[in-house]
This record gives sequence, C-alpha cells and structure tokens, in this order.
Amino acid sequence: MAIRELKVCLLGDTGVGKSSIVCRFVQDHFDHNISPTIGASFLTKTVPCGNELHKFLIWDTAGQERFHSLAPMYYRGSAAAVIVYDITKLDSFQTLKKWVKELKEHGPEDIVVAIAGNKNDLGDIREVPMKEAKEFAESIAAIFIETSARNAVNVEELFQKISKQIPPLENPEVESNESFKLTRQPAPSVRRCC
Amino acid sequence: MSTSVSHPCKQEREGSFFKLINSFAWEIGTLKKEMRRKNEPSEGNPKTDTLIGLGEEVGGLFLQASPCAGIRAGLPGARDSGYDSLHRRLSVLDKLVHTHTVWLQLGLRHQDATHILMDQPTGTFLVRKSAALQRKVISLRMDKDSAVPVKDFSVKESQYTFSLEGSSLSFADLFRLVAFCCISRDVLPFTLKLPEAIASARTSADLEEVAKLGAGFWDAQLCHRKEDSLSGSTAPDRPPTSAQRLVSLSTAPAHPWLQTRTPSELECCQSNGALCFINPLFIKVHQSDGKSTNTNPCGTAKQDLREEPVTNNLVHTYKDSCSPSLQICSSDHSVCSQSHRSNPKSLGTNTELQDNSSQTSCSQKPSATRIVSQLPPPRPPPPRFVTQRSALPDRQHSMPEKIPWINIPKEKVEERERSTSLLSRLGSSISISPSSSPPKRLNISSPIYIPWPSLPSSLSSLSSSPHQARTSLSSSQEDAQCHLAMEDGIIEKAIMRAKQFQRKTASTTMQDSSSPPQQLLTTTSELAHMQEGEEEVGEECSGGGQRLSDMSLSTDSSDSLDFSQSSAFFLPHLHDPSPPTVADFNNHLPLSIPPSHLPYSSMDQEEDDEDDENEEEPDYGVSLESDQDQDQDVTMVPPGRHTKRRPSASALVFQRALRGHLHKMSGVFNSLLTPEKRAIRKVVELSRDKGSYFGCLVQDYLSYMCEGATQTLQGYASGLELLQTVRQFITQMKSYLRQSSELEPPIESLIPEDQIDQVLEKAMHKCVLKPLKPVLSVALEEFQVRSGAWQELNENLSLAKVRQPQEMGVADMLPPDPVVIEKIKRKFHTMCKLYSPEKKVTMLLRVCKLIYTIMEDNSGRLYGADDFLPMLTYVLSQCALPQLDNEILYMMELLDPSQLSGEGGYYLTSAYGAMSLIRNFQEQQAARVLSSETRDTLHQWHRRRTAQRSAPSIDDFQNYLRVALQELDSGCTAKTLLVRPYATVEEVCKLCAQKFKVSDPENYGLFLLIEGSSQQLAPDTHPQKIKAELHSRPQAAPFHFVFRRVGNRNTLASSHLSHTPNLNDLSVTSDTQANLNDLSKDLSGPCPQVSLSLELNPSLRLSLPSSQLNSNSISV
Repeated sequence: MAIRELKVCLLGDTGVGKSSIVCRFVQDHFDHNISPTIGASFLTKTVPCGNELHKFLIWDTAGQERFHSLAPMYYRGSAAAVIVYDITKLDSFQTLKKWVKELKEHGPEDIVVAIAGNKNDLGDIREVPMKEAKEFAESIAAIFIETSARNAVNVEELFQKISKQIPPLENPEVESNESFKLTRQPAPSVRRCC
Repeated sequence: MSTSVSHPCKQEREGSFFKLINSFAWEIGTLKKEMRRKNEPSEGNPKTDTLIGLGEEVGGLFLQASPCAGIRAGLPGARDSGYDSLHRRLSVLDKLVHTHTVWLQLGLRHQDATHILMDQPTGTFLVRKSAALQRKVISLRMDKDSAVPVKDFSVKESQYTFSLEGSSLSFADLFRLVAFCCISRDVLPFTLKLPEAIASARTSADLEEVAKLGAGFWDAQLCHRKEDSLSGSTAPDRPPTSAQRLVSLSTAPAHPWLQTRTPSELECCQSNGALCFINPLFIKVHQSDGKSTNTNPCGTAKQDLREEPVTNNLVHTYKDSCSPSLQICSSDHSVCSQSHRSNPKSLGTNTELQDNSSQTSCSQKPSATRIVSQLPPPRPPPPRFVTQRSALPDRQHSMPEKIPWINIPKEKVEERERSTSLLSRLGSSISISPSSSPPKRLNISSPIYIPWPSLPSSLSSLSSSPHQARTSLSSSQEDAQCHLAMEDGIIEKAIMRAKQFQRKTASTTMQDSSSPPQQLLTTTSELAHMQEGEEEVGEECSGGGQRLSDMSLSTDSSDSLDFSQSSAFFLPHLHDPSPPTVADFNNHLPLSIPPSHLPYSSMDQEEDDEDDENEEEPDYGVSLESDQDQDQDVTMVPPGRHTKRRPSASALVFQRALRGHLHKMSGVFNSLLTPEKRAIRKVVELSRDKGSYFGCLVQDYLSYMCEGATQTLQGYASGLELLQTVRQFITQMKSYLRQSSELEPPIESLIPEDQIDQVLEKAMHKCVLKPLKPVLSVALEEFQVRSGAWQELNENLSLAKVRQPQEMGVADMLPPDPVVIEKIKRKFHTMCKLYSPEKKVTMLLRVCKLIYTIMEDNSGRLYGADDFLPMLTYVLSQCALPQLDNEILYMMELLDPSQLSGEGGYYLTSAYGAMSLIRNFQEQQAARVLSSETRDTLHQWHRRRTAQRSAPSIDDFQNYLRVALQELDSGCTAKTLLVRPYATVEEVCKLCAQKFKVSDPENYGLFLLIEGSSQQLAPDTHPQKIKAELHSRPQAAPFHFVFRRVGNRNTLASSHLSHTPNLNDLSVTSDTQANLNDLSKDLSGPCPQVSLSLELNPSLRLSLPSSQLNSNSISV
C-alpha cells in the first residue's frame, strides 16, 4: 500500500482545543518508529483509506492574533485544513469565518476544509447553534462535525471524513528509470462536494 | 635490539606472526620476477616453505577480490601480475559487479526480457524493473517444464536492504542478493546461472570485455560461446607492460567497491544458518577458521593473520567510533615508527606531511583513477577545495600519468597539514551531539591526524614506511613502474622493520617489569609531542600495561601514547577513503556488526568531523561487540578483555601487517561500507572528477561561486536569491544523477528506490554545500548588512530581549531559565557551523525538543502551537543571535523540498515565524500585526518552495533533452540526450535515430506533445529553445518531446494511444486523440512541418491552453 503524506493544518482561535483534538486523534498511536515527536504542535498519524495509507502530518498553528500573519506558512501546501471553533464561544465561530475567507483567498486551491465545533460535551453552555454552523459549512462545501476532544467524540470521524475527501491517486507517481509517463494533469475539480 | 627479555611464549607467537608477515613479503617477492629468491634467506626464516604455503593461503584469503581492488587502486597490472597466478578465480559477486551492464537492465520490459532469455539456458536471468509492480524483478529463464518460459521474481526493497519476495534473507545491495541467488536458490526454483562468458571469465579484463557489450551482450555471440581467447590474452604470471596496464585501467573505470568472497563462503554462511545478512567477509573467516587447526607454534599467528582482514575491518570501524582504540593503535604505531626510523624526530614532520598529503589524496584516488582512464593526459587540479584533497593519489604510482599529481610542492602539503590540524581542533570543538563527551571529541578530531600514508596497492605497499613514502613521493617516476617498488633493499628493510617492531613490541609488553620499554614509551610520547604539540598527548597514559598483558599477541603497546600524533604515521592505508560507520552497520548489516558510532576512519578529515556531528546516535562510544567473526578468534581476543579493547589489539596487529605487506587487504574495507555511504562517496568522487560531466558541472559551479565571490555576489539581488540558485543547482544535479548513467554501478543497484532521492540529496550537500557553506554564510551576512536588515534585526533583538515573557505572548508558563538559554545558545552555535541543512534542522529540532521538555516538565500537560510558538519566540529573543536569521533562511531555502512538510519543516517554519516576529518587533508593537511585506514574503516563500516539488528534472536542465521513442508495438522508451542549446531538430533527430537504433531514421520526426496535442517540429528549430519557452510560461503544462514515425501518423497515433500495452505510461486519453489525429492530418499536408521557432510561445499559448482546442490553429 502506498503511503501518502497529507499535510493538515489546524486553524482556529486560541483555546478552542485544536491541539486537544489532535492529541486525542493520535493518542496511543504515537509513531515511535518514524520519528521521535518533539511536541504536540506537530503530530502525525497514519490511517488506511481505501487502498492507500494516509499519513496525516498535522500542523498546529498558534491561534493568537499576533501570530495570525504567520498562518500562510502553515497552511500552504496543505491538503486539508481543520478549522476549529469552540461551541461555547461565539467569538471563535466568527474567527472561523475569517479563516475560511482567508483560505479561500490565499489557501491552496483544492484544499479540503473541515469545520470542527469542539467541546460539544459542554452543550449546556453552547453559544453556537449546531444548525447555524452546519449551514455555514454547507455553504462553503466544507466538512462539518461537532467533536469533543475530551470525550473522544467524533475525532476519528473528523479525520476519516477528510480522508474520504482526498482524491485517490490515479497511478502511483513513480517514475521508472527508463520510461516516463505522458500524463495530463488530473483535472482540478469535484473536490469540495460533501 | 635495544630491548629486553620478553615473555618467551609471546615472543614466540609474535615471532611466528612476523615470520608469517615476512614470508608473505617473501611471497610477494617471489611473484615479482625482479625479486626472485634474493630476499628469501635474508631474514633467515627457518620455516620458509611452510610459511610460503601459509602466505599463499592467507593471500588467497585476502586477495580474492584483488583484481577489482587493484583496478580501483590504479594498479591493475600489479595485481594481475602478482596474484592472478595464485588466485585466478573471481567470485560470483565480482563477476556480477563487473558485468552489471549485462544483467542489470532496469529499462527492459517483460517482453524484452523474455525475448532475450528465450535463447538462454535455464537459470539465466536479468534484473529489470517491472513497470506494473514498480519494483525490480529478477526475470528468470525457467526450465522446459515450466508454464512460462520466463518468470519474474520481485525484489523487495525495504528501507535498507534488498531481498527476494517471500524470502527472509536480505542483502545490503542488489549485487549481493543476486550473488547469493547464484549459489543458493532460496525461494527461487533453482539457482541463478551466469552466462557462460561471465561464469568462465578468469580475469577482470574478461569481464570488462563482456561488460562493455552491455545489453548487447545478449545479442552478441559472446554469450553463446565460451570465450577462452579473452582470458588467454592476459598473461597473469608476467607483469603486464604499462600499455597493458593502461588498457585494463581504461576498461575498468569506476569500479564498484564491492569486495567479495567466493561463493562457497556465501554458502557457508547459509549453512551456518546464523545470518540473514550475508557478508562474505565474515563467512570467510568462519571458513578458514574451521580449516585451520593450530597445533604448531605458528598456529596462533596463522590464525591471527587469517583473522586480520575481518578484525581489521571491524577495528577500523571501531577505531573510528571510539577514541580509545584509536589511541591504542596509534600509540603502537608510534612505537613502531620510532623503531623504524633512524631519526624519527627530524623525520617526523616531513613524513607526517607526506602521510597527510597522501591521506588526503586517498579520497581522490578513485576519481583520479577515473580521470586517468578517461583522459590520459594530466589534468589540472580542480578548483581549490578539491586541489587540497587531490594532492597525491599515491596509488597512482604505477601510472606515469600520475606524476603531476605526485609532485606536489611540499609547501602545499605542509599548508594542508596545518589547516588540517586546525580543522581538527575546530572539529573537536564543534561536535554537536548533546551526548558527546570529551573522548568522543577526541574521536572527532582524531581522524584528522590519521594519515593514509598511501599505496594500499599490493607491491608498493612495501614502500610504505615513512622513509619509503617520501621516496615514492620524490621518485614517483620510478615507482610508476610499480614493480620498482620492489627494489632489492625494500623487502629487506620491511622485514627488518617488522623485526624491530616485533622486538619493540615485545619490550613494550614488558613495560611493567623493565625499564627500557618505559623509556621507549616516553620517547614515543615525546615524539608525539614533538610532532604535533597537541595537548592530548598521553591522556590515557595509565592504562597501557594492563592491556598489554592481556594481549595474546602482546602487540598492544598501550593507550599511553597520544593517538593523534603518532597515528599520523601508521594507520593502515586503505583503498577506500571512508570505511563504514558503525552506525551504518547498525542499520545495514544488522547481523554483522553491532551498533557503535563512528566517522570514517579518516580520509577526509572535515568530512569526518561533519559526519561525526551528523550522526544522530547518542551513544557513540559503543564498541563493536564481538561478533561471530571476532569471537571465533579466540587467540586474538582474550576472554577477559573488554570488547572495546579487542579491536585495538587486532587493529594494531593488522595495521602493522597492513602497513608492511597486506595493503591489498584494505580493499576489503570497502565491502563493509554501507551502500548508502558507498553511494554518497561515489557521488562525491564523481563530483570531483572533472572528467565526468557531472564533475565538470559541479566543479565549475563551485569555482564560479567561490572564486568569483564578489562579482557573483553582486549578481544576486538578495541572499534569498542566491540560496535559491544554489538549491536549484542541487535539485538539477540530483535529477541529472538520477537519470544519467555516470554513476557506476547504477545507484539503483545499491540503494532501495525509496531511498535514492534522500541519498542523492545527502551526497549533493556534501559536494556542493560543504564547500560553499563558508562562502554562502559570508555572502548572506553581507547582503544583510548592506540592506540594513542586520542593524534593524539587532535593534529589534535587543528590544525584544528585555521584554517579559508575557509580552511575547507566553502565558502562564515558566520561561526557561538563563542556564537553559545558554544551553540553547550553544546548540544554535553548533547548528551554525553545520553545512547540511538537514543536520541543521535536526539541531533545531533538538532545541525545540528542549523547549518542549521544559514546558512540559513545568506543567505536565501537552502543549500545542498556541503555547509553543510564543515560547519559541521568547527563547529566540533571549538567545539574541542575529545570525540565526540567516541560518534559518539557509535551511528554509536549501532543505530538501520533500522534507518541508515534515516535522523539520514544521519547526523550521515556526522558527522562521518567530524570527520574523522578532525582526519586526517594533513594527509589531505599533501595529500588532506583521507588515504586509513580511506576509508577502512568507507567501512567496511557500509558493516557491512548494512549487519546487515539481521541480526541474534532468530534461529541464539546459543541456539535456528527454526524448521518448514512440513505437507502434512497444510503447514509449525515453532517453535523456545531451542536446546543446543551439542544436536543431534535425540534429536531434539524428541523435535520436542513433540512440534509439532506428533503422530508417528518414521516416522519423521529432514531435512536441503538449496537453494532448502533438506537432512535428521543423528541422531547423531548436528544441532547447522550445523547451525554454515552455518552461518560462507561467503555468507550464507538461510537455514531451517524442521521436516517432512520421508517415501514417493517423493510424500510428491512434493505434498507439489505444492499443499500446504500455498505455498506462501514455495517458493521452481518447478525447484528445481526435485532436491529435486532426493535427496529424494537418501536419501531414503539403507543409508537414510546423514551424515552431521563437514565436512558439505566443502561438502555443493561444492555441494550446487546453486539450479541447483543436490544434489546427497552430499549424503554420
């Protein structure tokens, strides 16, 4: 099985639980063999998808405003972006919208966008209605899911959904020594459907 | 001699040992007609006869690989003449390595392979790459009963090894795998069978003959008949004439470094059942051990001698990995040196210089050899960084052409010497491993002092004493006739030396009980002092005696002498500049050698330093565990000894032996090199070989960058741009190497596919970045100063430094204390000194890890980027190292693009981000946001760097053009051709016809395939220009140059597109087919040749933006 490395960028306000989601996702799956992990801001996890293996290289970003300007470096080249907001903080949802806009303007063309409403275990102090968020996600053809990093709810699912949206490679792009492929670029299309 | 009583038993053993050596020398002498019996009685060896036999045996053991090694060493003639008489057989591995051009046909398709093998006997094989499996396969001719005539067995390439699918045996490279399969069928239905012409070849010259045929071998009659003529042509008993030598030289240019044993050894290994990893070396030892029974007093010595090759290999590895052993060895050598030299003190410096120079030259040897083979006349030394190294390919004695190299002015050598020791000091100071301890540092620097006194070649080996080395320097012309090295006195001297040495050693052994040895030791260390004045002398003075006493060979004089100085004279000469690192063994030869760290045993000092630093393994000091090989040698390794010590003991013995008589053995070290090291080394050598196209490009580029530094600098707008061009160059050269056939053997046979890029990247760092790093650093700083950015950065740094952590965004965390900051600063300083962006990033990661550890230790929770990035910014501001800015730039621009999205890329990005925040601190304070300018920069950076992923391949490189041959029945074959910028289509067509062996070139034309359209190019247009045009388009569509039949284009194109078996290679889909046909029709009209010259660009842009457009529009 071919391993595909997929860079995934985590965006969202500080404190919404970006790193918690990732930590939950990779929990107990630290890939000791491949590289010793420096810290939780860069983590990897490999999951099977169809007849491929997707190795998520998860780039966490700092959510504070002052670091906002650095975000392009992080999301450039990403196959997917997970924008996280806190369902108990309306502000974080507003920030999310800004991120969506920025990604549309500056992000990679075919980036898969996933919106994750975190802390859904705190439903009683919810500020962002699920319906509103879902509609917003649909309007931009993004994946939507509410998660709880604390209770490990929907975290795997989030990444599974992303995995499914990553178009499979048609042919392994290995170029043999003495022959090469006359290939057309795969038409950029149909990536954003739900 | 001057010395005293030594333990009789020991002496006896030594005695026999040295007699053995002597006899060995004698044997060599016998082989040389010049020597005859003259020297035999000179030392009064009582057991000459026995010993000769022994020597032969030993020689056989050591020298099986000699033809190959000899050629590499530049002394093929000597080898052939000396040893073929004794060792006519070439091992299977040798044969395979020599003739890989025949059986290693990666480009073949199954049909081709079937076609070729049909006529061959059962068991004949080819190795090719299966397009379907994307793997190498062994295509094997099955027997008559088989359902298919030719069956493929796929080769699994794991991270470091090659193995057959379904087999649990894995091998370090393809050659070994195939060699093994030639002997044992393993998972195959039967063993592989070499074609008769190869199997029956007796000399490497025969093999060369075969190899020259390449794939044509199969067509040639050669493979059907047994060829005796070839082997008859070499008269092995007679020293070949120089002409002969030249010939063999030229036919054997870059010899693979694989050293081999006989098949039986391989088998032995298997039956042993001990190994999955077949390393013939070890097996040989095992075997010979089994044979030899040590009943006579000689037994031990005999065994020891037998043991030597192996042990010494290990020792080498070990030596590199750990300083104590080095010390031991070298101290022994100093003892030895003293005893040998009439006036050691005065001679010392000179000799050392020479040694040193020869040492440095060693790294050049193989390439030098190649140079010779390609361009007989002496070549001006390559640009400066190389010159130093290329000073003295002493192995080239035998070759008159080499004289210019040899007659290097002494001052230069001296200069080099000095810089070397400087470097060594530097080396020790910049050792970066966090775990590196003082001994390890010593170790780092130690290789620097190790000379490669030279002449690993068989005969000249005798001339390797310091004195002799000088002789060879000055009178290289004589030596050029390699046999002259055997002039009468020499062997005698050598034997004398051996005797002296023996006595010295004996006396040393008695160190504790008798004073003379004591004195001796003192003198030696004094000598060492004299020689280098280094402070490390005598560092471990105390340990010596005890060790000596455990030495069965009592050769170990002690640790008491400084290794670095004395070692200068006596380390053995190796063919191979870089013995393997144990770390690599660890990875690659898991069963052969246990982990331990080590840089090369020395050739290239700086490299060693680098490599040393580069090794990531924390525990460098681990010694070689005794492996099967060592353990077998009971005599050699006394039970009580710490493993660490063993190699030193054996090392000593071996070195002495080596130095004296066994130089050819050194070739064996090569076999211990890991494939990766071997490959890197090869690339590096090739890069220094101006006779190769690659070498030319690299050297020209380097001299352009270095020598024209000032003008070059002015040519670039910024440091960024400068780095980009460097990166581009590296990428291009990598693609060139990947696609050209200049590397020999093909890198695919050494390195598993998925590692190749990485290995090439490393190699390119070594050949390009290493010499350029200083220049680049200076240039970057100049740019920074000139633009004012330096000052601004400094101001901002000092502003940021006084801020509280909270102001930098660090919330509720304890910031690292000053001690930690100091530690981090040190790491950064180390990082700055590295040349490899990869290693630098590793260093950066260590810093990040440290920061993380502190954060987590203080709180116990996991932190994401929200917490880490502010902390990193704070730490960077506290470190206040303005040079980091350029360092980060260097890494970001030069790091292999494939690594940019990994962990290294992430933290590098973070560091860059943090640094940008600091750089714009004031501004940020004011606006709380980065300037749009910075944003743009980041933006552009990423675009640029990600764009590089689809970076130029060889065909983008200006002098190359990749052209595909499209045939009705056989899909596409592509070749990269050397096409000058102004070559016309017509010329290219000719070239293609020739390269693709097209019988009717007039019916073929060159076509440009772009976005599914195809157009024939006019004969007077310039393909390179067209390529350049296409590349310069903002959104360059993939395009290909195709050489195919002009007539019947309609049928051809369509049938090809739809029916080719190879269709997956050609994904021009059917919807474009119509266009293509249209186009073809159009083109086949009265004026079939579209004139595509310089106006190409606009017209193409208009007409070919997508495949929907009918290409009619562009025809004329």
